[in-house]
Amino acid sequence: MSQKQYWKGLEELQDTAAHKEVVANEFKEPLPFDLSDSLLEATTPRRDFLKYLGYSTVAATLVASCEMPVRRAIPYAIKPEDIVPGVPNYYASTFVDGGDYCAVVVKTRDGRPIKIEGNERSSISRGGTSARVQASVLNLYDKARLRQPYADGKEATFEAIDRSVKDALSSNTKPVYILTGSMMSPTTKEIISQFVAKYPTAKHVVYDPISYSGMLLANEASYGKRALPSYHFDKAQTIVSLGADFLGTWLSPIEFAKQYGAGRKVSVKNMKLSKLYNVESMHTITGAAADHRATCKPSETGAVAIALYNAIVSGTQPALASKKLNDLVNGAAADLKKGNGLVVCGSNDVNIQIVVNAINNAIGANGNTINWGVTSNYKQGIDADMVAMVDAMNAGQVGAVMIHGVNPVYEYHDNKKFIDGLVKVPVTVSFADHMDETAQRCKFIVPDHNYLESWGDAEPKTGYYSLMQPGIAPLFKTRAFQDSLMTWAGSTTTYGDFWKQYWTNKLGGQSNFDAALQDGIIEPATMPTAGASFAGNVADAIAKVQVAKASTGLELVVYQKVAIGHGGAWSNNPWLLEMPDPITKATWDNYACVSPKRAKELDKGGSQDVELTGINEVVTAKRVIKIKANGTDVELPVVVVPGMHNDVVAIAVGYGRNAKIGRAAANMGKNAYPFVSYNGQTFAYNTGVTIEKTANKYDVAITQTHHSYEGRPIVHEYTFEEFAKDPNVLQKEREAEIGEFAHLPWVEEKKEKKGAEEGAEEGTDKTVTGANSKMEEGFRQNGTLYPNYESPGIHWGMSIDLNSCIGCGACVIGCQAENNISVVGKDHILKAHEMHWIRIDRYFSGMPDEPDTIQTMFQPMMCQHCDNAPCENVCPVSATNHSSEGLNQMAYNRCIGTKYCANNCPYKVRHFNWMDWNGADSFADNLYEDGRRDDMNDDLTRMVLNPDVTVRSRGVMEKCTFCVQRLQDAKLTAKKLGRPMQDGEARTACQQACPTDAIVFGNVNDTTSAIHKLRKEEHRERTFYVIEQIHTLPNVNYLAKVRNTDVIVGGNEKTDDFMNQHI
Amino acid sequence: MHLKYESFVREPLVDGDKTYRQVTEDIISPIEKKPGRMWYVGFFFSVALLMFGVFSVTWAVYWGLGTWNVNRTIGWGWDITNFVWWVGIGHAGTLISAILLLFRQGWRTGVNRAAEAMTIFAVMCAGQFPIFHMGRVWDAFFVMPYPNSRGALWPNFNSPLMWDVFAISTYFTVSLLFWYSGLIPDFATVRDRAKTALRKRLYGVASFGWTGTVKNWQRHEALSLVLAGLSTPLVLSVHTIVSFDFATSVIPGWHTTIFPPYFVAGAIFSGFAMVQTLLIMVRKILHLEEYITIGHLEAMNKVIVLTGSIVGVAYLTELFMAWYSQVPYEMGAFKWRIAGPYWWSYWAMMTCNVISPQFFWFKKLRRNVPFTFIMSIVVNIGMWFERFVIIVTSLYRDYLPGSWAYYTPAWPEIGFYLGTFGLFFTCFFLFAKYFPVIAVAEIKFVLKTSGQSYKQKMEVIDEKSAEDFVHEQEHAH
Repeated sequence: MSQKQYWKGLEELQDTAAHKEVVANEFKEPLPFDLSDSLLEATTPRRDFLKYLGYSTVAATLVASCEMPVRRAIPYAIKPEDIVPGVPNYYASTFVDGGDYCAVVVKTRDGRPIKIEGNERSSISRGGTSARVQASVLNLYDKARLRQPYADGKEATFEAIDRSVKDALSSNTKPVYILTGSMMSPTTKEIISQFVAKYPTAKHVVYDPISYSGMLLANEASYGKRALPSYHFDKAQTIVSLGADFLGTWLSPIEFAKQYGAGRKVSVKNMKLSKLYNVESMHTITGAAADHRATCKPSETGAVAIALYNAIVSGTQPALASKKLNDLVNGAAADLKKGNGLVVCGSNDVNIQIVVNAINNAIGANGNTINWGVTSNYKQGIDADMVAMVDAMNAGQVGAVMIHGVNPVYEYHDNKKFIDGLVKVPVTVSFADHMDETAQRCKFIVPDHNYLESWGDAEPKTGYYSLMQPGIAPLFKTRAFQDSLMTWAGSTTTYGDFWKQYWTNKLGGQSNFDAALQDGIIEPATMPTAGASFAGNVADAIAKVQVAKASTGLELVVYQKVAIGHGGAWSNNPWLLEMPDPITKATWDNYACVSPKRAKELDKGGSQDVELTGINEVVTAKRVIKIKANGTDVELPVVVVPGMHNDVVAIAVGYGRNAKIGRAAANMGKNAYPFVSYNGQTFAYNTGVTIEKTANKYDVAITQTHHSYEGRPIVHEYTFEEFAKDPNVLQKEREAEIGEFAHLPWVEEKKEKKGAEEGAEEGTDKTVTGANSKMEEGFRQNGTLYPNYESPGIHWGMSIDLNSCIGCGACVIGCQAENNISVVGKDHILKAHEMHWIRIDRYFSGMPDEPDTIQTMFQPMMCQHCDNAPCENVCPVSATNHSSEGLNQMAYNRCIGTKYCANNCPYKVRHFNWMDWNGADSFADNLYEDGRRDDMNDDLTRMVLNPDVTVRSRGVMEKCTFCVQRLQDAKLTAKKLGRPMQDGEARTACQQACPTDAIVFGNVNDTTSAIHKLRKEEHRERTFYVIEQIHTLPNVNYLAKVRNTDVIVGGNEKTDDFMNQHI
Repeated sequence: MHLKYESFVREPLVDGDKTYRQVTEDIISPIEKKPGRMWYVGFFFSVALLMFGVFSVTWAVYWGLGTWNVNRTIGWGWDITNFVWWVGIGHAGTLISAILLLFRQGWRTGVNRAAEAMTIFAVMCAGQFPIFHMGRVWDAFFVMPYPNSRGALWPNFNSPLMWDVFAISTYFTVSLLFWYSGLIPDFATVRDRAKTALRKRLYGVASFGWTGTVKNWQRHEALSLVLAGLSTPLVLSVHTIVSFDFATSVIPGWHTTIFPPYFVAGAIFSGFAMVQTLLIMVRKILHLEEYITIGHLEAMNKVIVLTGSIVGVAYLTELFMAWYSQVPYEMGAFKWRIAGPYWWSYWAMMTCNVISPQFFWFKKLRRNVPFTFIMSIVVNIGMWFERFVIIVTSLYRDYLPGSWAYYTPAWPEIGFYLGTFGLFFTCFFLFAKYFPVIAVAEIKFVLKTSGQSYKQKMEVIDEKSAEDFVHEQEHAH
C-alpha cells in the first residue's frame, strides 16, 4: 500500500511559515496568563500570583475535604426477587420463650429483622405484644450471643461435637435426660420422641423456672386433666385475682390483657364495665388496674381462697387479717354469684389451686369464662420431675444431660446441688445461645438459633398452631436444637425439611402449607367450648391449706419484672433493662421492694434516713439491706413501693447474672432464685425472711421521682357509679375551665353580623356533642390573640384510654424499636437523661401506710403535638415547627440544642441527645467520659436500626413524631393506589404494640375515622386534654379512668395522703 | 455645660490638693510603672482560672452536654443562671456612663471608666454561656440571619433567644464604642507622656491622632452624647429582653408580666454591687482613694438600697399574684420555691437581696468601706441565687408531677462558671495595668468645681456677705 498523505489544507501542503507557527503553538489563542518561568518576573505577577493562589487553595481544599471514611456497603450481585431496597418485607412468625407465646409479624428491611409486630390473625394474642416481644429483635443482634459451638470450653466444629456426643451416647448405659422448658412445638416433641426411640433410656424433663405445677396438678386432681384451661377475661364480668398478675407476668399476659382491655371500654352507649378484685402481697400492674384491691401476706393466699369459697358456697362471713380483705371477699363473693365470674390464683400450691378450682366450679365458670374445650400448653413443667432429675444426677445415675431453653445453674433454687450433680454427669450438652451460667459448666455447647433465624412451630392451645419462619439467615455458626437431636439420633434429614414435610402432610398439600405460612397461624374456625366436671376433694384441700399456718413475721416474694421476666437472654437486653418498671419506675437493677411503713420501721432510732423513704428526687441513693431467708442472704437496696403489704419484701428474678451473659447484664442486682424453695410437691415463691439495715447505700436509677398527681386535673378518674349517674361530669368541668371562650360577646356579634349578611343560618346544633364541639372550637379561636390556622386535609390525632392502659410498657419498647431510640445507661438515667419518647407516668394515691387504700394509675405521656405548641415559637432557628397535618416536627439538622423548647414544654416530653449515643457526630468514641466503648454502637447491634428513621446526632432535641415515617408511608401507598388514605392504614408503633388497644390514632378530619368517632361520639364524655387551659391545643386526648369501685381516693385530701405529704 | 460654682453642701468629688498635673500623674503613672506583686499574683490566678474554664468547656464540647447535670426537666441550670447574672452585672456600667451622664451627675466621673470596663468584660463572660450551652455549638451561626443556600431559611424572629442575640450583641457593641471613645483623650495623654518608643507608638495608634484641639473636644462631646443617648434605652432594653426568655414562656414562675422591670432593677442592683467590689479593691491597690472617695461609695450604696427594695417588692408581688390568680400551677410553683427541696436557694435569695441591703438606710454603714465591700459580695451572691431560683426552681416542678426532677451542677458546669471569673479578672487586671482606670479628662473637667482644694479656696469667698461680694466684683477692675 502506498503511504498516501492527506493534508488538512493548502497551508500544510505548502508548509508556510504561518502554518509552522501554528503547529508549534499548542494553543491558537494567546493564553490568558503569562507562562513565564519566573512568576515574579512575569508581566503581570500580581494577577498571576492571585490566580495560582486561588486555584491551589480551592484545589487543596476540595481534595482535602473530599477524603471520606470508607463505608462498607455490599450490594447484591444478583438481586433477590422479593427484596426491594427500601421496602420492608413482613414474615408471619411466632415468638416463643419458654411458655411465653405471641403470634408475630417480623418486619425485615434489606434482609434484616428490625421490628416485631403482633399478628392480628391470631385469635390468641390478637395483634397484641409485650415489651419483651418488642425487644426480642434486639436479642438477635446481641453481641454476647455465642458465635460457634464449644467443646470443653474451646471452640469446636459441629462435626467433632457430633462425633463425641454420638460416641458418648452409644457407649452410655445410664439414662439420658433432655431438659427443656415448656415445649409448645409439636415437631420438636416429635423429634424428641424419635430421639427417645433411638435411645430408649432417654427422658424428657420439662422444667419451668417460674412454675405452674401447682395448677397443673390441681387440675389433674380436680378435672382429671393435667392441663391448663383457656381463660376468657373478656367474657368475665367479675374477675378475682388472688396474686395472679395476669396483665403483667402470669401465664399469658398478652392474651389476657387483650381480653381484659375489651371489658374496659366503657361509654354511654356501652354502660358495661368489668370488675376486677385483686388480692396480692406486692404491687403489680394487675393490682394497679384493680377496682378493688387488698393485700395479704403470700402465706395467707390460701386463707383468702378458702374464705372466698366459703362465702360463695355457704355464705360464711370471712374472718381474715384485715377488714378490707373481709369486705373484698364479701363483695367478690356477691358479684361472683351473679354469674360470669372468673377466679385466678398465682399460687403454685396444689391445694390452694384446688380450692380455686372449686370456687370456679361453684360459680359456674367452667364452660363459660374457663374453657376446657381448648386447653393451653403454655406451661407443662412438673417440679417434682426436675427435683427427681437433680437427685438422679447427684446419685450418679445420669449418663448425659442435654439442656435447652432453661438455665438451672442460675434458675434452680438449689443451684449448688444442681452444679454438684452436673459434675457427676459424663456428657453435658447445652443449647444455650449465650454463655449462660449452665452453659459455662457444660462439656459441649451447641448454640441454638435465635427464634428469628429458625423454622419452627408452636401449639399454644390444643388445636391452635402457629408457625415460625426465619427473618434472616443465621448470623453465626449456630444450629437448630432440633437438628442436633436429629443428628445424634442418626437422622439424615434436616429439621427444616422435616418440619416442612410434617406441616405439608398435616395441612394437606403445598398450597395449604404456603397459605398457613403466610398467615402464620392455623386455627379452627370457631373455638370449641366445654366445661369440666369438678371432682376434686375440696375438704381435703382446705384442711391441707389450713395446716400450713401463716407465718407471723416478714415474708419474701420472688416475682418477675414485667420487662425482664424469668431472666434468660432478657437479662442482657439493654432496652428491657432500661425500661422503667411500671410500678417502681426503676431501671437497670433489682432491689428489695418494701412498703413505706416497713421502710420507716427499718429506720430505727428515727435517724431521718432519707435513703429509706420513697422520696428520691434529691437523693438517688437507697439504703442497702441484708435479706436472710432459706439459709442464704443477699444485700440489696430498698425501694419503697406504696401498696405493698407491710410485712412483705419482694425481689425480682433475672438479675445478678454472670458477667459472661453480656455487658449489660453484668454487675446488675442480685439473684433472687435461691429464695425459692421446694415443699415436697411444688416450688414455692415465697418464704419467711428477716431483713436488717446495713451501712451501705446504692444508687437506684428511678425515672419518676414524684408519686402523687397532687390533685391536679391532669388525670381524671371517677367511679363507675358517678359516671353512670352523670356521664358529662368531666365535660362540665371542662366547660367551667374553657367554656367561656365559646361565647365571647364580641365574637358572637361579629359572627351574627356575618351570618345576617350572608343570610346563612348559624349552626344550631343544640345537642351535647354540638355544645362540646362549640366549646372546643370557641376555645381554639378565642383563647388566643393569634390567628387560628386552618388544617384542611389530614389532621392527625391520638387518643389514649386511661381506663384500658395497664402500664405494661409494650408501647415504650415498641417506640424504642421503631424510632431508633437510644439507650443511655444507668449513670445517665440517674441524671434524668433518659430518651424514651413515650413515658408512662405512674401516680399513686391513698394512704402510704395503708397498702389497701392505694389506687394506682398510669398515664402514657408523649409529645402532644400541640397545634399551638409552646416549643415551636421559642426555637431561635425554627428547628421545631408545625406541619399542616398537625404534627409538631423536628428538623434535626437545623437544631442547635439550646434546650429552650424542652424547658417551655409543659409536658416535658422533649428529649435531648446529651451524649453521642449513636456514634453519629464528628468526634470518635466520645460516648463515655472514660473512653469506654459501647455494645450499642457495634456494627452488629446497629443492624437493629430502622433505616426509615434518622439516627440523631449528639446535641439535638428529639421527641415523639407520631411515627411520621409510617404516616408518610401510608399516604404514599394510598397515593400509588390512587385513592384517599383509609382509616387504620397509618398506625403508630405504640398503638400497634398496645395489648389493650388503649391507643387510637388517625385522621381527625375524617369523620368516618375511629379517632373522630371516639372523640365526638363514642367516648366524648370521657375525652379530655391535659392542661388544655394553657391553650396548647394538644392533638393527643385522653379518656378518663372509670374505676368500678366505691370511692376514688385520688385528689381528695382526706383520702389521699400522698397529696398532703407531697411525695 | 458646667456650673462654675458648686455648693458646699455637696462633698468634694476629688479629695486632696490636686492640680491638673497631679491628676495626670496619679492616674497615668501606674501605667508607666512595673505593676506590683499583688498584680502579678492576681493575674496569675485569673489566668489559671481562665484556663480551667477553657478546659471545662472543651470537655463539655468534646464529650457532649451529658457531662453536665442539666436534664430532661431542667434544661437550663448553671449555664443560663450565670448568663443572666453576668449580663445583669454589666448594667451598672451603662447606667453610670449613660444615664448619669445625661442627668449630669458629676460623681460618675470617678467611677465610670472602671464601671464601663466591667460592663464590657461582664458581657463577654455572659456571652460564653448561651454559646456553649448549645448542644451543637459548631452550628451556632444558624442563629444569624445570613443569606444561605438552604432555601429562604431564616432564624425564628418569634423566639426570645433570637432577640437575645441582637440585644446582647448591640449592647456589647455600643458599650465598647462608648468606652473606647471616652478613652481616646486619655490614651493621648499617655502617648504624650510616653518615654519609650513602643509605648508612644501603641498609645499613639490607640488615640487615633488625638491632638486636643477645640474641634476634637467638641466632636468628642457630641459623640459622647449620641452614644449616651443610644445606651440609655439599652440599659432598660437588654435585661428586659433577657427577661422575655422567661416571661414569654408558659412555665409557671416564668410566665409573668412583672419580669422586665424586675429584671432591670435586679440588674442595676447587682451591677452596682459588682462596681463596689471592684472599685474598693482598685482604689486600695492603685492608691486612688482621693479620686474614688467615700462619697462615691455612698452614692452607689444609695442606688443599691433603692434597687434592692424594688427587687424585694417584686418578689412579694410575685407571691401575691400567685395567690391572687388562684391558678394551681402558679401557686404550686411558688410553694415549691419556698418550701420544696430547693427552699435554701429561695431563702438565700431573700436574705441576701431583700433583707441585707436595708442596712444601707444607715449612713454610717453606707460610708463604711469594709461593710460595703462585704455587702457588695452578699448582694451578688443573692442576685446569683435570684436567677437560679427563677430558672431552676420554676422548671423542676412544673405542670405534671410525673416529670418533676432535681438538679445539682456537675464539675464542668462549675468549671465553666469559674472560668468566666478567670476571663473577667484577666481582662480587668490587664485593663488596670494598661488603661487609665479613671477618666483623667473627665476628672479634670470637674476638678475645679468639685475638687476639695478648690472648694476650700471658695470658702473665703463664700463667707463674704452678698453685698461685699457684689462690691468686690464691681470694683475688681
